[in-house]
Amino acid sequence: MCASPAWAAGADLCDPGELGGPGIALRATKVLTAAGDDGVTEAIIDHGLVLVRDGRIEAVGAADELPIPAGYEVKDLGERWLMPGLVELHSHVAGTGYNDAVYQTNPGLRASATVIPDRLYLQRATAGGVTTLLFIPGSATNMGGQGVLLKPGLDTFDEMLVRAPGSVKIAQGDNPKRWGYGMQRSLMAWNLRQELRAGLAYARRWADHERGAADQPERVVRYDVFRDLLSGHTQVSTHTQYYKLVLTTIEMLRVEFGLDVYIDHGSFDSYKTAKLAADNRVAAILGPREIMWPSPTRYRTDGRVEGSAWGFQRGGQEEIGFNTDAPVVPQEELSVQSAMGVRYGLDNSAAAAVRGLTIVPARTAGIDDSVGSLESGKDADILVLTGDPSDPRTAIEMVYVEGRLVYNAEEGGRLW
Amino acid sequence: MMITLKVKVGQLSLAALFLVSGLSAPAAGLLALEDEDKEEQPEWLAVTGGDVFTGTGSYLRGATVLAKDGKIDSIGYDLFIPEEAERLDAGGMRVYPGLVAISSSGLLGGSGDLADTIDPFSSRMVLGLAAGITTTSQSNQVAKLKRGELEGAVLSEKAFSGLTWSGAGGKRALKEKFETTATYLRAYREWEELVKKDKELKEPSKRGVDSTVLAVLEGRILAKFSANGRDDLLGIARLAQKYGFRPVIEGCGEGWAVADELGRAGAMAIVTPRYRRSKEESLVRDGGSSIENAAILHLAGVSVAVIPSSKSVNLGGIAGRDIMHLIIEAGFAVRGGLPEKSAIDAITIQPARMLGVGHRVGSLEVGKDCDLIVTDGDLLHYETFVQYAVVDGKLVYDKQEELWFSHIRPRPEAPAPEESPVDAGERPEDIEDDGEAGDDDESGDEDEEDGDEGDEDEEGDD
Repeated sequence: MCASPAWAAGADLCDPGELGGPGIALRATKVLTAAGDDGVTEAIIDHGLVLVRDGRIEAVGAADELPIPAGYEVKDLGERWLMPGLVELHSHVAGTGYNDAVYQTNPGLRASATVIPDRLYLQRATAGGVTTLLFIPGSATNMGGQGVLLKPGLDTFDEMLVRAPGSVKIAQGDNPKRWGYGMQRSLMAWNLRQELRAGLAYARRWADHERGAADQPERVVRYDVFRDLLSGHTQVSTHTQYYKLVLTTIEMLRVEFGLDVYIDHGSFDSYKTAKLAADNRVAAILGPREIMWPSPTRYRTDGRVEGSAWGFQRGGQEEIGFNTDAPVVPQEELSVQSAMGVRYGLDNSAAAAVRGLTIVPARTAGIDDSVGSLESGKDADILVLTGDPSDPRTAIEMVYVEGRLVYNAEEGGRLW
Repeated sequence: MMITLKVKVGQLSLAALFLVSGLSAPAAGLLALEDEDKEEQPEWLAVTGGDVFTGTGSYLRGATVLAKDGKIDSIGYDLFIPEEAERLDAGGMRVYPGLVAISSSGLLGGSGDLADTIDPFSSRMVLGLAAGITTTSQSNQVAKLKRGELEGAVLSEKAFSGLTWSGAGGKRALKEKFETTATYLRAYREWEELVKKDKELKEPSKRGVDSTVLAVLEGRILAKFSANGRDDLLGIARLAQKYGFRPVIEGCGEGWAVADELGRAGAMAIVTPRYRRSKEESLVRDGGSSIENAAILHLAGVSVAVIPSSKSVNLGGIAGRDIMHLIIEAGFAVRGGLPEKSAIDAITIQPARMLGVGHRVGSLEVGKDCDLIVTDGDLLHYETFVQYAVVDGKLVYDKQEELWFSHIRPRPEAPAPEESPVDAGERPEDIEDDGEAGDDDESGDEDEEDGDEGDEDEEGDD
């Protein structure tokens, strides 16, 4: 954070673009805004201009239409492209010791307690264009605890923090079966329901109390996060994978309990739930096992290799995003997940890949008011890159987070 | 079943068609006739109208590659195409040399001695061809993905001599082997000259001479090391320079930090651009992995081949990191600054040369094997699919004729060729096409892969 202290008023202590500094105008050959839903900002602007001041985006438009205010530093990026920083909703690289497995459900545990700022993993994440990530507990138990939304490019926890709790992590994959001998899916489902009922009942008692309809309930720290869930302050991010599991995710968490939940780590034939997911407004965040191939014991594809993202798209799901499960796939390879989506069929003519890396996950996590697209008023989290972000050949040259240049391949060396 | 009988009359080529149903004695006679005739009648394949990337520096738009009996006969424009030639229309598409995967497992179906174990009907072989791979090395042998055919599949029974550079004792022992063998070799060469005058002169003793090292020093085979650490790479470079051989180094993760030394030693590197290695923070020097590794090595004169981290077909696993995505891995070398042309070389001619088969495969040149792929776009683009693969002048893969990927961005139907009234020479190609297509050989061997719960990911604590 750079805010000129009162005694230094008037001195240029802050860099252009960041809070307290002069404005900056970024000019580029192509601007992928990931906007366009409201009809104000075009999704793709050729020869575009992005104005940044005090860490936020001031305006976005065509270079020959948008005037540059006096005193702004103009950066002509030539052939480079601009796009919003990428948003990752399934990451484990911001710290260590986040996968406690003592109890089967752990709604009170917080991944935020284990964050280690500025570690190499996070520097590489930034170099790979990831400017916001959801750092979540592992899937050793059915409910690993609370995730935290962070900006990996910044230096201290306070600066990094976007929102806590970032999510409540539920795991419906097969990993929690390792919890103990004999643990199977029926018990996991039963156990999860018990915890959800208890937690939501607690949250409702508080909600009743807050609108004066009930006495103040006794505080149960373990269940406090359910108040955030009930009030819509956070969501459930679910480690779920293939059709059978994703079906449970939607049927149990969304339909039965009415939770704001999204498919995280969606893989393989999860797309068979596409219509159900779309109808119930459950976003599909996919990766890193995004394709499925004929393997008759579990999957039937009539001999075809199927892309999960394309499957969701065909089924009418529009909210398709990508995740890595870093470090299973390194955090900096988030963009590759979108390349795989497109390679295996996703129609990219309406920029589905870029949207799936930015605005879709931002909206899914409820942080699209500040990140996920280049639109006036949002955080200036901006990537300067050499071309199509999905293409492995494309290099990210610079990364701005809240107007601060946090990565510059030319100066500090290319990290990714 | 259709059998073609070709009769050459003067300069005219005529092809007569016989429809033989239910092979009978006379039919067997016809077969024999055809076999005899084959020796005189070459098999032609013309891949026409594609933008041809030869790998030798040329990029010929809308050109034709003409193969005769499996070898490239000519490449260019306005070629004379014999009318009996089979034709493959590559119009609007691109033609590249078949890719060479410098190491892989499972694509050939076999294991151990490939000559005896290659399965030319393996579904993995089809997937390998779908990934553009026409030649690969497995179990230190080199073979082609000759679908449906065994003859001529194995190109080399020994690709490299593996040497180990590790541990203080191991390094000392290897250095001693080189010293003893080099000393012997000098003495032997001296003796070779002297013995011409003095026939009684005793041949120098081979005691302590290592046959592997001897083969390396005589240039009969390349030595291959596996090393990533900068100090090991430097040690190998010094050994190579001192004894005058070119090492192939697999891994080469910190190669970028000692690229000049590797370049001077004539090293060749097999790299995975997405390789990760942490820098040893206690050491004040460059280290760890770098996305720029391939580019920096290339600039220093090191030959670079690229291979993904997973060397088998693993579509049930993490997308984009297995042998099916060789082009994606090469793309990451470009991200780190390797020129596009060199990145394509790194999956074609460079690995071919390292494997000792650069005279046969790895580029499109007259006289080399006609192993090529036809793609629907720029080879290194993530959307690009292989549409056709040709090995030894035969069409062995057609995306639209296989189940795997035919539904993804299907290739538009080529405009129907004009009906030519009495041009019997056109007909046989249809027959051959049908023969290649619809091979229903994918049924048996899927279950081994991707076990029921086996593909759950690990989420380690750290």
